[in-house]
Amino acid sequence: MDVKVLHHNDCLNFCPVDVAKGLCRRTNELTLIDSETCECYERLPKCKFCTNYVSTDAQMGICKAEKGEPWAYPEMIAVTCKWFSFA
Amino acid sequence: MATPVLESRQKLLAEILMEKGIPIEYRYGKEFEDVADREIKNNPTPRADALKKLYLNSLSSVNVEFPYWYNREWRKWDGEIPIIRRAKALKAAFSHLTPVIWPGEKLVMGKTYYYRGSFPMPWLSNTFFMAKSDELYKAALERGSASSGEEAKFGAGGGNVTQDFGNVVSIAGKFGIRSEEVPALVKLAYEWKDKSVEELGHRYEMMVPEYDMKEKIMRSVICMFDSGFTLPQGREVINYYYPLAYGFDGLIEMCKERKDKVAGRADGDGLVGMDRLYYYEAVITVIEGLQNWILNYAKEARRLEKVTTDPTQAREYGEIAEMLEWIAHYQPRTFKEALQMTCLLHFAVLNEDAISGMSPGRLGQILYPWYEQDLAAGRTTREEVLELLQLHRVKFTCIDAFASTGVVGGVLSSNTFNNLSMGGLNKFGDPEGNELEKLILEAGQRLQSTQPTLSCLYDEKLPEDFLLKCAETVKTGTGYPAFMNNQVAIQFLLDQYAPEGMDISDARAIAIGGCLETSPCTWKPLVLNGKEYWIPGGAGQPTSVGVHFIANPKVLECVLFNGKDYRTGEQVYPPHNRKLETFEELWETFKEYYEMTVDCLATTNNIQHDIWRKNNMSVINSFLKPDCLEKGLHIGQLGYRYNATFNIESCGTITMVNSLVALKKLVYEDKKYTLDQMRDAMLNNFGFKTAKEIGSFSLLSQVKREGGEVYDKIHHDCLMAPKYGNDDPYADSILRLYEDWFCAMTRNYESLYGRKMYACQISVSTHGVQGSVTLATPDGRLAGTTYADASMSAYPGTDRNGPFALFNSATCWDHSKSQNSQLNLKIHPSAVKGPEGTRKLLELTRAYMRRGAFHIQYNVVDSKVLKDAQAHPENYRELLVRVAGFTQYWVELGKPIQDEVIARTEYEEI
Repeated sequence: MDVKVLHHNDCLNFCPVDVAKGLCRRTNELTLIDSETCECYERLPKCKFCTNYVSTDAQMGICKAEKGEPWAYPEMIAVTCKWFSFA
Repeated sequence: MATPVLESRQKLLAEILMEKGIPIEYRYGKEFEDVADREIKNNPTPRADALKKLYLNSLSSVNVEFPYWYNREWRKWDGEIPIIRRAKALKAAFSHLTPVIWPGEKLVMGKTYYYRGSFPMPWLSNTFFMAKSDELYKAALERGSASSGEEAKFGAGGGNVTQDFGNVVSIAGKFGIRSEEVPALVKLAYEWKDKSVEELGHRYEMMVPEYDMKEKIMRSVICMFDSGFTLPQGREVINYYYPLAYGFDGLIEMCKERKDKVAGRADGDGLVGMDRLYYYEAVITVIEGLQNWILNYAKEARRLEKVTTDPTQAREYGEIAEMLEWIAHYQPRTFKEALQMTCLLHFAVLNEDAISGMSPGRLGQILYPWYEQDLAAGRTTREEVLELLQLHRVKFTCIDAFASTGVVGGVLSSNTFNNLSMGGLNKFGDPEGNELEKLILEAGQRLQSTQPTLSCLYDEKLPEDFLLKCAETVKTGTGYPAFMNNQVAIQFLLDQYAPEGMDISDARAIAIGGCLETSPCTWKPLVLNGKEYWIPGGAGQPTSVGVHFIANPKVLECVLFNGKDYRTGEQVYPPHNRKLETFEELWETFKEYYEMTVDCLATTNNIQHDIWRKNNMSVINSFLKPDCLEKGLHIGQLGYRYNATFNIESCGTITMVNSLVALKKLVYEDKKYTLDQMRDAMLNNFGFKTAKEIGSFSLLSQVKREGGEVYDKIHHDCLMAPKYGNDDPYADSILRLYEDWFCAMTRNYESLYGRKMYACQISVSTHGVQGSVTLATPDGRLAGTTYADASMSAYPGTDRNGPFALFNSATCWDHSKSQNSQLNLKIHPSAVKGPEGTRKLLELTRAYMRRGAFHIQYNVVDSKVLKDAQAHPENYRELLVRVAGFTQYWVELGKPIQDEVIARTEYEEI
């Protein structure tokens, strides 16, 4: 999974408001998701960062944590996933 | 939509009517020259204000987290008993929701991790996404390469995502989804191919002999939507009692005990007796999911407590964690914990199904035990409670519903109708209107927002100061509370639910579900610190179900044109081939077509709901409502105490009545025109261009066609024919004729639960959409424009004899024969100015209620303000108006509805 392009919604300090923006918990400012991340960036658990995630194409993949290897998608937030571990 | 550019000879309808002395924007009373603002303005607390502003700055946003986990778990359990499989899927979905706590919140949790979030449920309805998959993919691809600098545009449309921008794809001009989630959304939709309630329902409804006619009726928009897969639950009253009384751990224990008692035993019920075991197991499973969900929020609060540098904010996160860690297991100890519990239960039910109109019921009476004891013990203050109630308003205003797209826009105007009832009588017949309810009103004044909307269950016994507080709140321009007649509602409930055992005590528990749906409720004893209280809560099935929104004027149109819809060119009904030589023949034919409509819609919708109850039954809402836990049965097995809730809903009553009156007068009695002349005028839109031609469905924008003068005389006569709303027995007798028939006719139809249906008479926003597909009508209304709103509101500008004449017209029939009736009145702020004006408003309400009316609600606003808001929406993001049973932000309404609200008769004297 190519995770070079990072967005604000990849950051643990980002508090999502809607599909375009959220609040930065460090600055308390409204921030556009697709603007550049800053030095405070802290990786948020997402499928695309997980050892169990294997991409099948740019937008889809599978989760190898479960026996059936269900499909998954890279942008899924995984803070509540018991199988998540950073790759 | 811009005002059409007029050629020199063209005239707007509004100008023509003005020349005739019947201005479309009619004002009753002396006109006020200056723009009048609303009189009372109170401010919310800074915390509540900041959170509300965040809402106003938020877009309606969708993600697929919940459906992803639901679907993933569902697929793992192929072959499992349906209710257990569904409970496991729900548990997985709740357990994986990402917890987000926004700074400043004291009440937490929500439907999704977006502030104004929702999500589709492909197991319910999926064909829209499959049909649009190419379009969505294309948009996602294009969006992926769009400039990240593009920003959402606010102002017109409010928080609606009306078009694609940046990496955001618009779904149906309302919801935004991140482009990177679109492939997952489409994949989810395809995984439910041939399995969703929509598709399965469709497969079996085609077996109904009347199916072909039903499809034609849907295409002609004589009916607005199928209720089985769009909004299978809603317009009902939730019940918070069990978790408030026992806590979640207590409920799990209760279910385990019940399981031991029923496992393997039919106990005399060979049909569903054995199902009780699976039901209790499913309830335990979903409660575990809810506990995981709550504790995930607690965990997040603990994390934030540690990393937050601001000590006050860090302490508040700690308090949130402590509160959630407790209520995940036990009965709430404080008012704040109890309020938080009701919030999370509300969101839980809304995440279980596509629901609109899940009403909290009489929240001020439900939470009174904690309020009373906290105050007495010095654990809280009125100021703290007042702020919490404002925060509760923000939380509820953030609720979004992702139903089918046509329903969200065309019917609901993006509203979610969480109606909070207050007042009425207690179990023993004593008046309510307690101190906490007055604080709820005060919170509604201070933090003006759409949700929860408020309803006063008006009863002669209610204290005067409470009623005056209601009237004062209306004057702030919120449109709430609406007034519903408690005694009329009780009569309706006893009539409809006596066969299921309703008595006067349960009838007194009445609350409003959705806009203004009288809903069956009950009382339960709650013990708090050794003291017993009887608290009310919902005990009935949804009332959003049945036959929903029949366009009365469109049925009449089909009668006049031998069953054909000229817009689609389809023969909707079998040709009646009658000459319609008498009014009686016309009326009989109308009734025949109407009954055909109801019959085919009732049978096909029954099948959809039957599929829903078999595969998509409610588990969460079911365990909350009496008597599911006692019986061990869910909603689909008649577990609820009251099940005769399916109804038949009409739209455009007054436009139809005025049209029948005009036909009776001009064609049958005065014989001034033949029916063919009337038909010709209707087809030619009385000489006006069509709404489609000019690109506007607004009644204010309609333009005369060149040469259209040949229809001037007939149009004039149609406009001048007697109209409802003027205490004119000629017109009102037709309303009476219709209501006596309609309310009785609906009882002839049966829901899938074997219970008789009943009449429901509200319009929500369908008078806009259904008006847009209807030809010109014999009352002089032009093609494509809105019908009269609600069911008792006069057509704009036609009620000319003052409010009391309107009241007399509206109460010429027995309102207790229907679940509701609806009257909207627009009043100029100057007419109700000062304390004297508040009392006048109450007396006006009282006068209507004493005539036996069911409902009235007010827009206290100057039409000049609305016009300016239409021209400059960017200056009016917070302007609220009452539409038809709900309050909405002006900027989130479609233009036809905005125009209709502007055009409503403005009362400058009362």
